[in-house]
Amino acid sequence: MAESLILIEHDRQQVKRPSLHAITLAQQLGGEYALLVLGHGMDGIAASLVSYGASAVVVADDPALAEPLADRYATVIAEAARKRGTKTILGTSSTFSKDVLPRAAALLDAPMITDVVAIEETDGSISYRRPINAGSMFAMVKVEGDRRVLTVRATAFEPPAANAAPCPISHFDFDAASLPNGMQFISREERKSDRPDLTEARVVVSGGRPLKDKETFERLVGGLADALGGAIGATRAAVDAGMAPNDYQIGQTGKIVAPELYIALGISGAIQHLAGIKDSRIIVAINKDPDAPIFQMATYALVGDLYQIVPQLIESIRRA
Amino acid sequence: MTDINNATREVFGNIAPWMRVVFFIMIAASIAVLVWQVAARVLLWRKGQQGGFERDWRVWSRRLVEYALAQKRVHKKSLGALLHMLLFSGFVVLTIGTTLLAIAYDGPYYFHHGWYYLIYELTMDVFGVAFITGCLLAMYRRAFQRKPSLGHNRSDWWLLWLLLSLGVTGFAVEALRMYYTQVQPDVAHWSIVGWLIDVTLLRGIDVGRAQTMHLAAWWVHAILVAAFFATIPVNRFLHVITGPLNIAGRPERPMGALVPLKMEEVEQTGRTGVHELSDFNRQQLLSLDSCMECGRCEDACPATATGKPLSPKAVVIDLRNLMSLGGEDVHRTIHDETLWACTMCQACVQECPVLIGHVDLISDMRRDLIGEGKLSGPPARALQQIGSQSNPYGRSNSERLAWAEGLQVPTAESNPSFEYLLWVGCAASFDPRAQKVARATAQLLKEAGVNFVVLGKEETCTGDPARRIGDEFLFQQRARTNVETLTRRKVKKIVTPCPHCYNTLKNEYPQFGGQYEVQHHSTLLAELVGAGRLSNSSSNGEPITLHDPCYLARVNGEVDATRAVIGAANDAQYREMPRCGKKTFCCGAGGGRMWFEEAPSQRVSHLRSQEALATGARTVATACPFCLNMMTDGMAGTTLPSCYSTARGELVDRRP
Amino acid sequence: MKILVSFKSVPDPNDVAVAGGAVSTPKSVINSFDEIAIEEALRIRERGEATEIVGATIGAPAVDEQIRAALAMGVDRAVRIDDSRALDPYAVSRILGAMVKKEAPHVVIMGKQAVDDDSNQVGQMLAGLLGWPQATFVSKIEFLDNKTRARCTRETDAGLEVVEVNLPAIITTDLRLNEPRYVSLPGLIKARRKPIEVLTCDQLGVTVRPLTTVLSIARPPKRAAGTRVESVEELITKLKQEAKVL
Repeated sequence: MAESLILIEHDRQQVKRPSLHAITLAQQLGGEYALLVLGHGMDGIAASLVSYGASAVVVADDPALAEPLADRYATVIAEAARKRGTKTILGTSSTFSKDVLPRAAALLDAPMITDVVAIEETDGSISYRRPINAGSMFAMVKVEGDRRVLTVRATAFEPPAANAAPCPISHFDFDAASLPNGMQFISREERKSDRPDLTEARVVVSGGRPLKDKETFERLVGGLADALGGAIGATRAAVDAGMAPNDYQIGQTGKIVAPELYIALGISGAIQHLAGIKDSRIIVAINKDPDAPIFQMATYALVGDLYQIVPQLIESIRRA
Repeated sequence: MTDINNATREVFGNIAPWMRVVFFIMIAASIAVLVWQVAARVLLWRKGQQGGFERDWRVWSRRLVEYALAQKRVHKKSLGALLHMLLFSGFVVLTIGTTLLAIAYDGPYYFHHGWYYLIYELTMDVFGVAFITGCLLAMYRRAFQRKPSLGHNRSDWWLLWLLLSLGVTGFAVEALRMYYTQVQPDVAHWSIVGWLIDVTLLRGIDVGRAQTMHLAAWWVHAILVAAFFATIPVNRFLHVITGPLNIAGRPERPMGALVPLKMEEVEQTGRTGVHELSDFNRQQLLSLDSCMECGRCEDACPATATGKPLSPKAVVIDLRNLMSLGGEDVHRTIHDETLWACTMCQACVQECPVLIGHVDLISDMRRDLIGEGKLSGPPARALQQIGSQSNPYGRSNSERLAWAEGLQVPTAESNPSFEYLLWVGCAASFDPRAQKVARATAQLLKEAGVNFVVLGKEETCTGDPARRIGDEFLFQQRARTNVETLTRRKVKKIVTPCPHCYNTLKNEYPQFGGQYEVQHHSTLLAELVGAGRLSNSSSNGEPITLHDPCYLARVNGEVDATRAVIGAANDAQYREMPRCGKKTFCCGAGGGRMWFEEAPSQRVSHLRSQEALATGARTVATACPFCLNMMTDGMAGTTLPSCYSTARGELVDRRP
Repeated sequence: MKILVSFKSVPDPNDVAVAGGAVSTPKSVINSFDEIAIEEALRIRERGEATEIVGATIGAPAVDEQIRAALAMGVDRAVRIDDSRALDPYAVSRILGAMVKKEAPHVVIMGKQAVDDDSNQVGQMLAGLLGWPQATFVSKIEFLDNKTRARCTRETDAGLEVVEVNLPAIITTDLRLNEPRYVSLPGLIKARRKPIEVLTCDQLGVTVRPLTTVLSIARPPKRAAGTRVESVEELITKLKQEAKVL
């Protein structure tokens, strides 16, 4: 079986851990796999990837790739796949991989399957399970053709072990001058935070519209998150009301999370939001309205005024 | 002693014949100017669509008596109402008096003498004083009680000074005439003000001098009269002509019924509603000119009270100004946010002394906005969902009976020989807070042994939100479908817990062939309580107040049943809010605003909740699922978490 | 400037059901992200920056209803590529590629993903096939330099990113770009006069075969019912002892 190629995402400083989960799928599919990183000044990042049992860490390092412009990245990924004889390209679903991988797939005339959560093997052929309709249903799909591209939903696969013998780092040569030039990176507004990443955190505390405003949101949702060492999330309504930035949004059109503990404060439980949290192990919902739909999904339901409950909760946790 | 029968006065006594000619020409000219200006306005009104006028003479003559003569809408405990009564009565009597004098002078039979004359003089003097008092009060009010909704135009002071001068010079002329004609005291006493002036201010003045002064005063008065006539159309006084025209002309229709559109019209013009001024009908354009800018509509408006860019008075005045300028595109004058801010509570319509229909103006312009694709966001989604799911909540219509789980509520299908149809409404079917109302109502009806059914899945949105927001055809689609269902199920009597459904089923479905006996559930429950089939709950000892829903109390005049059901008469703890009954204040959800986003600082529900809390009540009762929703939310922002809203049905259900 | 908007007819998300291992479709609507794309094209035209908006979709004659809705919003004319097969994103992007070659628009705007399939691939694949720049998950579009470039704000996992792309380009829309306008019945009636062109893949000169097949569809297993707690103390106790997550 030909070697798979796994696209690893980074933030220019270090690897984004959820992107490693694609390795787990590669391991399930069997056969060898190589890890691919693109960017500029990749030595440190490449070095951190050598123990994941890959056949090689392939690095495409060039100033032209300093920013993740899809036209350039897709070209390099497609070229690398062609040169290495890759049949399967993998990645973890993220705005980065969704931007870049479909374009690379098209360059390779390959079909692509997004958000794989599981695979099934019947009679030697593999079918992939993926969510559709905002996660209210799952489809089993199979794909044919010479090559394919797959992205995995990080929360559906365990992180891979980093205990293999180190593999070599190989630099991929390509003609930077002939890369497409039609896109230009202008700026980025990234939130630097001491809190863990929303998609990686063990605990997520989320708030909805009843949190009134940015200050109250930070005080209560942030306060509880900090007491638990967790990340902050928000519903679309809260983001639209300016209480939280858009990258905190959890739901069908935001982030999908599956932490150990998800605490929903003042969230009624619109189906689009529920789609983003339903794989959480424990869901706690605190809401004034006893008929809120979220209670149908919550492991523990506490009906009451969050303005009284949350400070109590923070206090109790800090004391314990 | 003077022979009473000869008591009279000389007319035009001091006025030389040539002066009389000049006078008549001057007055005729000023009236011509008046008529010419009014004709110009009439031409502007004629630019509108034909029709829209009330045809039945019995209706408009009754209205003229009620509203124009008896001034029904003006009466209120306020300085404005008082001064208007004084001005109105004074002006009317003085005008009638002058007319009678003219008839006596010019006519075949001179009747202006004797007891008639004496009583005439007294009456004129008394009402002259009333008139002047009214002017002075108006000036005081305008100068010191600077109420913003009154409006301050330059012509306002011109008018007031003019009217005051007319009154004062009128008395001056009378007093001087009496003095120089040396009227005998026993006759002079009847012209009491003139006589008082004679014995105080004019005492000792030479008679010849007085005669000259009289002539001067007379001419000043005459010129003021001419000026008055000529300038009527450019100041507030125009309402004296246009007000009665609108009072008579306004078509008779239930307050809660909007006018349907015809599909053929739309297919021809490609337009829904009003885009240009000439899309309004002539009666509507006339109504714009009948506004005297009293500001009562603005004072009553919940949108204005919460700082939204809507004032019903401004809508009328802005359209009127557009009309005067010969403009056409209404949306350049009236902005979209202004139109969307309206809750269609009809408080403005109810307050207006000249019966302007602000809500119809706004509704017509909203229809055009919808046609032009100017609606997006949550209200657009609500309309889309009414179209595709048959309810604004976007829930599957097959879930219509979810509220009835475990209650064994009969459906029309299972019990075709029912008496009442319980029309639940979308809110009580899908909104968890309001579902309690549906449950309680159903339980109570069962307990009272009422033979009722529900439609279940066959019930779909009445279309009221669609009509109020402005998608008339979505409404008509819903209406026709529902009328078909109701006909098929042979429905005669309907009872519903939702005032909006109630209003639409009762007042608007007849436009589509649906005639039913519709009751709000408070009426039926009150009947059952009265007949002893249900027992009224006794008070829980806590203070309680009632928020009257607009579409029940104001629009349909029903205020007693709700109070009967909660036993208000027997409850010492029951208190009324300042704005209650037919003069209730909106909760903010009407006009489709239930689905619009509202800035926290502009929440109508907060304002109304504060009013409720100020009564000291611990419970707020209401009779509408929207009001229930809004008032519960409104209370949520307060420091009294134990205040809660409850629906009629729940309250009756809460037995000791 | 000519804008091509492509849109997909999807089952109404409020009303979807699963029956016999497949999705049953009582009602269809325009994919919500594509509606946002259409709305954006309309606003660009209302600003005076575009002269023609062409809509394109792939499907059986039944999707004409959604095409009428797009025309009612304000699209000038529409093309339906007649193909009732179950296609996959790659096949769709090849067909759209042929449409683009035929219409030669200055910019193609479409929703970032279809709410039934949630693949989020077509725009990017189309860009790759054409060799055009792409701006995905866009929440703001501005045209610069006499409409030779577009500056786009993108919504990414980490926050907002601003990129500039040379035109012609592919832009996919994200949720916060705009709120689409509501279209009422009279608008739909007016739209009846606008033309819908029907083309086949053959006429476009493209032959596609979907490489992805859906084998079955099922609802996920229901979560076990939860328990109600009455106080903060109870909650913390349960989280510690029962769930072992604190």
